[in-house]
Amino acid sequence: MAETLQTPTRAEKRQARRLRRFDNPWLNPKLIWGVALLLGILLLGLIGRMLWNLDLVFTGSATLKLPPVGFENLRKQEGVWDFPLGTDGSGRDMLALIIIGAPNSLFVGLLASLIGMSTGIVLGFTAGFVGGRTDDVIRVLSDVMITIPPLLILVVFQASFGDVSLTMMALLIAGFVWQSPTRLIRAQVLSMKQSGYVQMARLSGASTGHIMFREMMPNLVPYLFGSFIANVTTSIVTAVGLEVLGLGPQRIPTLGRTIYEAINAGALIQNLWWWWGIPTLLLAVMFVGLLLINLGLDEVSNPRLRKLS
Amino acid sequence: MRPTAYWIAASVLALSTGMATAQEVPREDTVIFDLDRTIKDPENFNWFTPGTKRMHGAHQTMWEPLFILNYATGNLDPWLATGFEQNDGSTEFTISLRDGVEWSDGEAFNADDVVFTVNMAMTNEEISSREASTIRAQVAGVEKVDDLTVKFTLEAANPRFIVENFGVRIFGSFLIMPEHIWAGRDAATFAFNPPVGTGPYTFTSATTSRAIWDRNDGWWGEKSGFMDLPAPKRVIFLESGGEESRAQLMATNQMDAAQNVSVGTFEAIAGRNPNVIAWYADYPYAAADPCARQLEINTTIAPWDDPQMRKAVATIIDRTQIVNVAAEGSTVPSKTMFAQYGSMDPFIDAIIDAGYGLSPRGDAEAGKALIEAAGWAMGSGGVYEKGGEELSVDIHVNSASTEYTRTIDVIVEQLNRAGIKAKAVPVENGVFWGEVLPFGAYEMSYSWLSCGSVNEPWASMGRYTVKDVVPVGERSPGFNNTARWDSAAAVSYSAIVDDMADKALGDPAVPGMVAEAYQYLDAEMPFIPLVQSAKLIPFSNTYWTGWPSAENNYNHPFFWWNHTHQIIHNLEKAGG
Repeated sequence: MAETLQTPTRAEKRQARRLRRFDNPWLNPKLIWGVALLLGILLLGLIGRMLWNLDLVFTGSATLKLPPVGFENLRKQEGVWDFPLGTDGSGRDMLALIIIGAPNSLFVGLLASLIGMSTGIVLGFTAGFVGGRTDDVIRVLSDVMITIPPLLILVVFQASFGDVSLTMMALLIAGFVWQSPTRLIRAQVLSMKQSGYVQMARLSGASTGHIMFREMMPNLVPYLFGSFIANVTTSIVTAVGLEVLGLGPQRIPTLGRTIYEAINAGALIQNLWWWWGIPTLLLAVMFVGLLLINLGLDEVSNPRLRKLS
Repeated sequence: MRPTAYWIAASVLALSTGMATAQEVPREDTVIFDLDRTIKDPENFNWFTPGTKRMHGAHQTMWEPLFILNYATGNLDPWLATGFEQNDGSTEFTISLRDGVEWSDGEAFNADDVVFTVNMAMTNEEISSREASTIRAQVAGVEKVDDLTVKFTLEAANPRFIVENFGVRIFGSFLIMPEHIWAGRDAATFAFNPPVGTGPYTFTSATTSRAIWDRNDGWWGEKSGFMDLPAPKRVIFLESGGEESRAQLMATNQMDAAQNVSVGTFEAIAGRNPNVIAWYADYPYAAADPCARQLEINTTIAPWDDPQMRKAVATIIDRTQIVNVAAEGSTVPSKTMFAQYGSMDPFIDAIIDAGYGLSPRGDAEAGKALIEAAGWAMGSGGVYEKGGEELSVDIHVNSASTEYTRTIDVIVEQLNRAGIKAKAVPVENGVFWGEVLPFGAYEMSYSWLSCGSVNEPWASMGRYTVKDVVPVGERSPGFNNTARWDSAAAVSYSAIVDDMADKALGDPAVPGMVAEAYQYLDAEMPFIPLVQSAKLIPFSNTYWTGWPSAENNYNHPFFWWNHTHQIIHNLEKAGG
């Protein structure tokens, strides 16, 4: 980061701290904060499921449009502790909505990214290592796919599918997040192929699979993680984008769908800020968490960043 | 389905470019109405064919009806016609046309146009608009008596012939087209562009999101002394694209009349713009809509072809919750299929007295008992199963209004809790009316297709007779009996309703016949009446005053109907 570059004294302190932690790059503060934020959201979902009455997530469970505790809505109704974060325009409890909705959004991101990454790893290694016609096909395919704006295709897909499940949506999104890992890994593999230990493994008669996954893969782990997290972010953005357009799953609460419903029902003009504000805030927290993890992983995979800071 | 900000931007852009390309008309001389749908084919003005061909201003400003049913007085206000006579048996009607009416291209409007247009509707099977289908079904012959007199002979007695076809009873009326332009054209394909009408406005331009109509200062009405020119020089119908943008446009005076909004949104608009009014000055603000809401069921699709299963759904549905959640308390549960207007009370009471009234609350246990009696067993996932299949239903809903989607959300929730795996399928307005409903391409859907009766029972009941049943995939005539209900009970029902058709208004036998026919509806539920509807339509007094309201009740406020001529003629410049 630029700011840390310019402040040597802070950097020195940081380095001292890092040395105390046996210079483990995985324990850098960005990574820790990022993981903590995401864990926070997961915990909200887990603990909330145990403690809160989730039936409140259904339409008509409560008085409509109640504000969070300590606030008043346009009708001069005050928030009550039964619904601490208020209720939406269909009488659903906001707390129950985010307890169920926030992990759902994260789940779609993780699943889509996981599938996309796995595809990317297999294709990237194959292209880079096998080369020839296989490489051409995979390369051209991923280059072509990378130019297609995913939201455009997905909107058409989802509109024609009608209601989709979370998993289905993750699968659809996964179809658009495998290209960059494929390219990234292919490039790394091409350069690694020439390195001594790979040559050595080859001479010792190791199988292609062994070389790819046992010899080369471990060296790529930080890259893969970085790429994975970037993909999670992309997937969540795509999923939320679809949901905000009203195209996600219908009856399963997600943060994006909550925002869509809020906008659709005139929440802005009615000043029902908690209806769209709380999910937006949670999404922001999620993205900041992912960004921090990504930056943290950058430091892990790129030692130069570490030494400079 | 649409990002609001985009639509506001697009609307403002459309508005400003529209203003810029056409002749400049100041904002204070322009009245801007809300349009709740996209104009799919803005270059086509053939109203006989499906699509947004009328409600984007065409039948509010350019095409005038013969009569307008006045909801306030119950009378037919004469418009292009001056009156009518009928014979004792209600099989012959003679309409007198107004003298001095002209088309906007200067040709005289007369009996030839009426005879020509009616004949066109009678001889063209392909043209599908509801009004044309009704004419085709009812009229045996039409003849010109003289230039200003037309005589209709009907297939069967129908005391309601004029109001049904030419009186703007619900939404539209059979519109007369100029013979000198339509003659020799194929009525099913002719685009009728540029359009010509008798109204005080002519078409200026249209895109998919707005239509502009400019005043014709040589309008016949002023020359003949029928009426003064309306005050607005320009009328714009603008697609607002949803409640939020609708509200923003009203709050910032960029629109003068908006489509239905929810109570909360209206209060917020009125809070920001005190010039915005609705039908009533106080809660619940909304005007009663003559179209009660219902769940339409496709009776050809299993398991919903079983009357017991339909009855189960009807029993599970809790109408009071729909009122509280979806309508925010601004309406009431339906007691029968009819609109709860005072004039309908004798018929509603007869049905309730006979024991066929609907409960305002749901009874999930009774509903479940009916489902179990039909051989379904509760599965482990809380969903009924039979032969390894889950009991599921897709409910198609028009996504144009939050009223529609929210009602279906509530129903989906109620059904799921009772063990029916229901899900909402929101579809765009045009697709919903153009492809889903008329062709039976749904299991259940949210609609108001029993709409029609406001002072007698036949108009609504007559929409579910067996003669209108067509196979799935074919277009239901005039959206009648889209449920495709044709069981033995439906036949018995139709026989009684057909008997009722020629009874005059106020015949004492009618309430009893209504109750007798209603037993079949109650037993088989081809559609499930839900709640009454109230439309909360915000009008702005910033530029124009004279909007219809409970205090200034010259007619109802549904400005997408053919009677909007009256509204526009009543508008006066604010402060002027």
